[in-house]
Amino acid sequence: MYKKHVLKNNQRNKLIISSLNTFEKRIHANPPGVCPIATHIAYLHTARSQTCGKCVPCAKGLEQLENMMQRILDGDADMNLYNDMVHLAKTIKCTADCAIGYEAAYMALCNIKNFNDEYMHHIEHHKCHSRIAIKVPCMYNCPANVNIPGYIALINEEKYADAVNLIREDNPFPTACAFVCEKPCESQCRRCLIDSQINIRGLKKFAVDQIAVDQVPIPKRNVDTGKRVAVIGGGPSGLTCAYFLSRMGHSVVVYEGKEKLGGMLRYGIPNYRLPKDRLDQDIDALLAVGGIEVKLNSMVGRDFTIEEIENEYDAVYVSIGAQKGKVTPIKNHDNPGVSSAMDMLDQVAHGNIPDFTGKHVVVIGGGNVAMDCSRTAVRCRAASVTVVVRRRQEDMTALPSEIQSAIEEGVELRTLFAPSEVKLDENGKVTALITQPQITGHYDERTGTPTVRDADKPPYEIPCDLIFMAIGQSIESEPFAKYGISSKMNFVTDNTTAIKEHPGVFAGGDCVTGPATAIMAIGTGKIAAINIDEYLGYHHEYHSNIEIPEAKQNMRSHFGRVQLTERSARERRINFEPVENGMSHEEAMQESGKCLRCDVFGSGKMEGGLV
Amino acid sequence: MDKTITVTVDGKTVKASPDETILEVARRSDIYIPTLCYLKDVNDIGACRMCVVEVEGHEHLYTSCNTKVKDGMVIFTHSEKVKLSREFVLQLILANHDVRCLSCSKSGDCELQNLSKEFDLPIENPYRHKLVKLESVTANPFLSYYPELCIGCQRCVSTCNKVVGNGVLRSSKVGTRTFIDAPFGDDWKNTKCELCGNCAKVCPTGALVAKNMSKYRLSKVEKVLTTCPHCATGCQMYLMVKNNKVVDVRPADGPSNKGLLCVKGRFGSFNFIHSPERLKYPLIRNKETGKFEQATWDEALDLIATKFKAIKAQYGADALAGFACSRSPNEDCYMLQKMVRCAFGTNNVDNCARVCHSASVAGLAMTLGSGAMTNPIADITGSDVDVIMLVGSNPEEAHPVVGMQIRQAVSRGAHLIVVDPRDIGLSREADIHLKLKPGTNVAFANGMMHIFIEEGLVDEEFIKNRTEGFEELKEIVKDYTPEYVSKICHIDPDHLREAARMYATAGKAPIIYCLGVTEHSTGTEGVMSMSNMAMMVGKLGRPGCGVNPLRGQNNVQGACDMGAMPGDMPGYQKITNEEVMKKFEKSWGVKLSRKQGLHATDVFQAAIDKKVRGLFIFGEDPVVTDANQHHIVKALESLDFLVIDDLFFTESCQYADVVLPGTSYAEKEGTFSNTERRVQRVRKAVTLEGEMRLDTDIFTDLMNRMGYHQPYLTSAQIMDEIASLTPIFGGISHKRLDDGETLQWPCPTRDSKGTPILHVGKFSRGLGLFYPAKYQPSAELPDDEYPLILMTGRVLYHYNTRAMTGKTPGLMEKEGHSFIEVNTADAARLGIENGERIRVSSRRGTITSEARVSDKVSPGETWMPFHFPDGNANVLTNAALDKFARIPEYKVCAIRIEKLEQ
Repeated sequence: MYKKHVLKNNQRNKLIISSLNTFEKRIHANPPGVCPIATHIAYLHTARSQTCGKCVPCAKGLEQLENMMQRILDGDADMNLYNDMVHLAKTIKCTADCAIGYEAAYMALCNIKNFNDEYMHHIEHHKCHSRIAIKVPCMYNCPANVNIPGYIALINEEKYADAVNLIREDNPFPTACAFVCEKPCESQCRRCLIDSQINIRGLKKFAVDQIAVDQVPIPKRNVDTGKRVAVIGGGPSGLTCAYFLSRMGHSVVVYEGKEKLGGMLRYGIPNYRLPKDRLDQDIDALLAVGGIEVKLNSMVGRDFTIEEIENEYDAVYVSIGAQKGKVTPIKNHDNPGVSSAMDMLDQVAHGNIPDFTGKHVVVIGGGNVAMDCSRTAVRCRAASVTVVVRRRQEDMTALPSEIQSAIEEGVELRTLFAPSEVKLDENGKVTALITQPQITGHYDERTGTPTVRDADKPPYEIPCDLIFMAIGQSIESEPFAKYGISSKMNFVTDNTTAIKEHPGVFAGGDCVTGPATAIMAIGTGKIAAINIDEYLGYHHEYHSNIEIPEAKQNMRSHFGRVQLTERSARERRINFEPVENGMSHEEAMQESGKCLRCDVFGSGKMEGGLV
Repeated sequence: MDKTITVTVDGKTVKASPDETILEVARRSDIYIPTLCYLKDVNDIGACRMCVVEVEGHEHLYTSCNTKVKDGMVIFTHSEKVKLSREFVLQLILANHDVRCLSCSKSGDCELQNLSKEFDLPIENPYRHKLVKLESVTANPFLSYYPELCIGCQRCVSTCNKVVGNGVLRSSKVGTRTFIDAPFGDDWKNTKCELCGNCAKVCPTGALVAKNMSKYRLSKVEKVLTTCPHCATGCQMYLMVKNNKVVDVRPADGPSNKGLLCVKGRFGSFNFIHSPERLKYPLIRNKETGKFEQATWDEALDLIATKFKAIKAQYGADALAGFACSRSPNEDCYMLQKMVRCAFGTNNVDNCARVCHSASVAGLAMTLGSGAMTNPIADITGSDVDVIMLVGSNPEEAHPVVGMQIRQAVSRGAHLIVVDPRDIGLSREADIHLKLKPGTNVAFANGMMHIFIEEGLVDEEFIKNRTEGFEELKEIVKDYTPEYVSKICHIDPDHLREAARMYATAGKAPIIYCLGVTEHSTGTEGVMSMSNMAMMVGKLGRPGCGVNPLRGQNNVQGACDMGAMPGDMPGYQKITNEEVMKKFEKSWGVKLSRKQGLHATDVFQAAIDKKVRGLFIFGEDPVVTDANQHHIVKALESLDFLVIDDLFFTESCQYADVVLPGTSYAEKEGTFSNTERRVQRVRKAVTLEGEMRLDTDIFTDLMNRMGYHQPYLTSAQIMDEIASLTPIFGGISHKRLDDGETLQWPCPTRDSKGTPILHVGKFSRGLGLFYPAKYQPSAELPDDEYPLILMTGRVLYHYNTRAMTGKTPGLMEKEGHSFIEVNTADAARLGIENGERIRVSSRRGTITSEARVSDKVSPGETWMPFHFPDGNANVLTNAALDKFARIPEYKVCAIRIEKLEQ
C-alpha cells in the first residue's frame, strides 16, 4: 500500500545547508592568487556530486571534463587534449538534460574563455603563470597595500601611535579612511573561513579615535633633494603623492583650486560621514612632514597654464579629480529646479545649507553620491526625498550600508524607473519627474549584473519641486587638453601613472579612473610618488622601522563580527553631526584579537607571499 | 630589555630570554628537536612542521623554530603526540619524494634521508600515489633542479632573496602543487641568476644541487678549510678532496663571508689546479731556437743565479728587480721580498697592488697613517648602518660576497649613494646615483666638502681635536660650488647636495670605494679626498663608518703588508727609518740597501732604458694586465734576463729566459690577508704529479745560490719570523689561527685579539691630515681623433687574466669574449648595432671587440672588461702614472670606435 510520509529530512537538510554555508564562506575567503583552473576543477567536482546519474552527458561527461582539466592543471596536456576538452564541454552543454549538467559545462566554457592565457601557459610551460601565487588578502586587495595585519596587532597591543604610523607608511589618510573607506581589504579576509571578516575599518577608526593622527609625530623626511614637483589638485591622491615625495626629500607645491585642501573628501562627502575637523587632522599631520607648499585658490586654466607649471617644476602630478556633476539631457533638464548632486554637496560643504522645508526632492542615481545627496536633502528639512534608480536595489553601486542608512532616515527608494522628462507648470516650475518603468533583462557579460529595458507600462510621475542628478562626474579637462582624453573623458596613463609622450607628467586618482574610491586615489598617489622619484633619477628608500608585535597563535573559536552602529536615525537626520559610533575598547580588543595574522601564518611568511 | 624568564623543556628548568625561540632554547640546553625547513636567520617559515612541540595547556602543536618562549611555558619536545606528528609529516613528504637515493648526489648528506633513518619509518608509505612527473631542470653547467626531490621548504628561495639578495628564485605552482622556479633551464645564460650556488648549499635534499656534488660521496672526501683565491673578501671555504683531487668547493662560515660564496669561489677556484696546462717542470729558453726546453731544477736555478750574479756584478744590484705575487700567501711574498733585498741586494721589489690599490696604500698612509680598510665588512654592512656611500666600486661583480652583504643592508633600509660613471647593478637600488664623468673624483669630493662647510655639516669638534690641515683644504674647496662641480663631473648639482647632506647627517655611514677611485693619474689624491670627506664629518675611528678600499686580489693586502714594496719593509716599516733597517740587518745578517726601489710600473721604462736588466716575476702576467701592452712587451724584450715563476705558461712567459713551475694555493700552507686586514689560513689539500715546488723553497734555493744563506723554513716558521720583525703582525701565528682565532692586524702581541676598527681615538699617524687636493683632468682626454673615453673593469664571472677562472668551461660559456659597452646615442650615430664586432683604437693600439649597446655608460663614454684575449683592453689603456703611487690610469683613456668594414 502506498503511504505518503511527512518529510523527515528537515533536520538533516538544515545540517547540509549549514555545511554549504561554510562552503560558501570558503569561496568568499578564496585568497588572491589561486589558479583559476584549480578553482574551476573544484567547481566541476561539486557539479559532479550533484548529478542524479540519469543522463550520460552529465553523469559521465562531467567526470571526463574534470579529468581533462586536471591534466591541463598538472601540466600534463597538449593542445589536442585541450581541443578535445572544449569539444566535450560544448557537447555536454548541448546535450545535458538539466541545469546541473549544461550549466556546469557552460561555466567551464566561460572559465576556458576568461582565463585562456592561463590554460595556454599550463599547456606550453607545464605550470601556472607566474602571477599565480597566494597573497595576504587584506594587504593585496588594499590599493595602497597597507600593512593591515601589522596595525591590527599594534591596536591589539594598544600601541595606537605606532598603528597610525604604520598605516601612514602607505596611506597618509588614516582618519579619512577610518570613516569612509570602502574597505576592499575586508572582501577576502581569511577570518571568514572561521566566522566572518574582521571589521578592519572599524578597528582603524578605533585607533584614530584613541589618538588624533595630528598628535602622532610624523617620521622624519629625507634631506632636501633640491627637486621640485608640482601637484595639481589637493585631494586624497594629490596629497598622498605630495606626502611621499616629501618623505623622499623632494619639495612639493600643491595647487588647489578651492579654498581648502581635501578634494572630494571635503567637498563631496558630507560632514555627517566624514567630519571636516577629523579630515583636517589627516591633512595637518601629512603637511607636518615639511617640504610641502600649498597654494590655495589656484587653478590651472584660470590662474595659470599647465605649460607654466611644466616649465617651473621637475615633474608634475595631475590629480584634479572628477568633480563636474553630469546631467542627463532629459526634456526640461535645464531648469533652475534641476541641478547636479555634486553642486548641491559642494554648496553644503561650503556651509551654504539650503532650506528645503516643504519641498519634495527627487535624487536620480544609485551610487554613493546619490545617497550622500539624498541624506543631505533630508538634513535640509525636505518634506520628502525620493531616490529614483533605473535598476534594482541589489544592482546599485552604493554601499548597502549607505542605502540602509538612507532608508532609515526616511529616504524613499524607487527602483526600476528611468527618468524621461521633467514636468513643469505654466510658470516653468518643476512639478514632477516623469519616468518610464523598467523591466530587468538579460545579464550584461561585462558587469555580471542584469541589464534593464523599458517595460510595457505607462509612464509614471513622481511629484517633486527639486531634482538632483547623481549620475556620475567628469573632469575639467580643458586646460589639460594636450594630454589627451579617453572616450570616457578621463586622462590616460600607463600603469606607472605616467602620461604618454609627456615625460615628467603623471596623473592619477578620479581624473584617470573616473569617480572611484578614496583609497584607490591614495594608492595611485603613492605609486605616482615612487615613479616620479624614479623618473627624477632616484630610488629613495623612505620606510621607517616600526616594530610589529609577534604573532600570537590564532584564536580559533567562532566569534561574531563586531559591527559599527550609528546614532538613532531620528536624531541624526536633523543635523550634520557624524552618524557612526566607534568601537568600545572591549569590542576593539575582541575584534583585533581575532586577526589570523596572515602576514606570519601561511603565505605571508614566504618570499613574495605578502602582496 | 634584559628580562630573563623561566621555561620548562622536557622537565628541565631553563632560563631564557623572551627574544629566544623554543628551538633556540632547546638547542642551547642540548635538547634535540629535528628540523627540515629551518635555516637560522634565513628561513623560519615553519613549513615542514618537523620541529613541532607540545606546549602544556594547548591542543595545537607549536613550531619551535618561530615561536618565542613565554615565561612559565612547559614544553614537551618528544611527547607521543609530537612523535606521531613528526612521523606523519615525514611520511607525507616522502609520499611523493623520489626515493631512489642511490642515484641522488646528496645521498649520505641528505637531511630527509637522515630523518627517515632516525624515525625508522616503514618501507611502505601509506600516502604514496601516482602524480604527474615533473621534468628536471639541468641545462645550467653548474646547478640543477629536480622537482621530484623538492620538499618545498623554501630555504633556497629565502637564501636567494634575503641573503644573496639577487631574488631570482621563487616558488611556482603547478596547479595545487608548489615547486621552485629554478632558472637553470635552456635559457640560463639570459637569466639574472649569478650562479653563486648558495641555494644549492642550503637545500636539505638533492632537489637543488651543484652538479659537482655528483662526483663524490661526502663520507669519502676530505674537507680542507681554506681561503678563496680570487678577490680580497677572504671567503672561507672547504676544498672537497677525493683521491688527491679537488672535486668541489663548499662554502664555510667565515667572518667576512658568513657562509656565502660567489660563482668564482664556488665554481671557478679548483678546475685550474688540475688543469693539464699547468707547468710541470722548469723550462729554459734555447737561445738558438728560441724554443723552451725542459730542464732540471738545478740547471734552471744555477742558470738564474749565474745570470743574476753577473748582472749584479756588472751593473750593480739595482739592475735587478723582483715582483711578488698578490695571489700567493703572505709567507711567499715575504720570502720573495727577502730574496730581492738580501740576495739581489736592492729595494726594487713590488707587487701588483701597484696597478690596483697602491694609491690607497699611499694615500691613506699619508692622511691617516695606515693604508688599509678601516672597518670590517660586517661592520659597514651591519643592520644599523644608515647610509653607504659607494664610490667607483661595483662589488656585485668584483667583490660579490661584499655586494651580497650590501644588498642585505639596503634591503634592511640602509640608504645607498652610488658614485660611479656606469649604471651598475647597485645603482638601481641606490637612493642617489651620481653618474659622474670618469676621472673627476677629486672634484666630486671637493664639491661634497664645499657643501659640508657651506651648510654647516662639518664635525668641528673632530676637526679641532683629531686633524690638521683643515684651513688649507677649506680654502681650496671654496671654489668647488655644486654648480662648478656639476660642470666638471657632468652631474646634477642637486644630486651632489643631497648626497652631501645624506652622508654628513647620517649616524653611521661608511665610504666604500674601489678601483674607480685609485686607477687614475690622480688616484692617490682621489683616495685622500675620500679620507678628507670622512674626517670632515667625523666618520672615522668609529663603528659603521670609515674609509674602506675593497682590495682587489685575495692577498694584495698581504703582499703590501709583507713589504713587497720599494719603500717599505714588512709591516709598512719605512726603509728610510734607520732603526728599522738596523733591526732587519741584524736579524737577516746582511747589509741592506737604503735606496728607494723602483715601482713596478717604473721598472718597465727602466728596462727599456737598460737601467734594469734582470727581472724575477712571481705569479704575474703584466703583458695582459698592465696598461699599454705594447710598452710592456717592449720592456720585457729589452731585459737581459727574465725569470717567471707561475702556474701556467702565460703571455708574459713568451718573453722569459727561464720559466719555473710554482704551486697553487691548494698545494701549500700559508695565510692570506683579506681586504679588512684579517689574516686567514690557506691549507694544503693536494700533492700533484710533476716537479712543481713550493715557491718559498724556490726562493730559498735561489738565495743560497746567490750567496745569501737561507735555511729551508716551513710556512709556519716563516710566519713566526714575520711576527718577530713586524710589529703589526707581532701576535699572529699559524697556531693561533688553527686554534680558531680570527685576527685583524694590528695584532702586536700574543695576547692581542687584533684590531677590527682602525683609528679609534687616535689616527695611526697621530693627527689625521686633510690633504689639499685640487681637481686635475685625466692625462688623456677625448679629442677629435679619439673622441670617446674608455674605462676598464671586471665582470662577475672572471678574475683578471682568467688564468684561473678561464679553466672552468661553464664560466667561459657564460662570459667568454671581449666586449665593449657603448652608449645608445653614440652607437646610433656610428651605425653600430648591439652585438656587432667593431674596431676599437687608441693611440697605443687597435683591437676588435663586440659592441654592447645600452645606456649603462653615458654618451661619450665606453667600458670594457680586461679579461679577454680576443680583444684585450690593455692594448688600448694609457700608462699615465700617478705621481705618488705610480698607478696607471686604467680608468680613463681616449679611444675611437669604428665599424669593421670601414
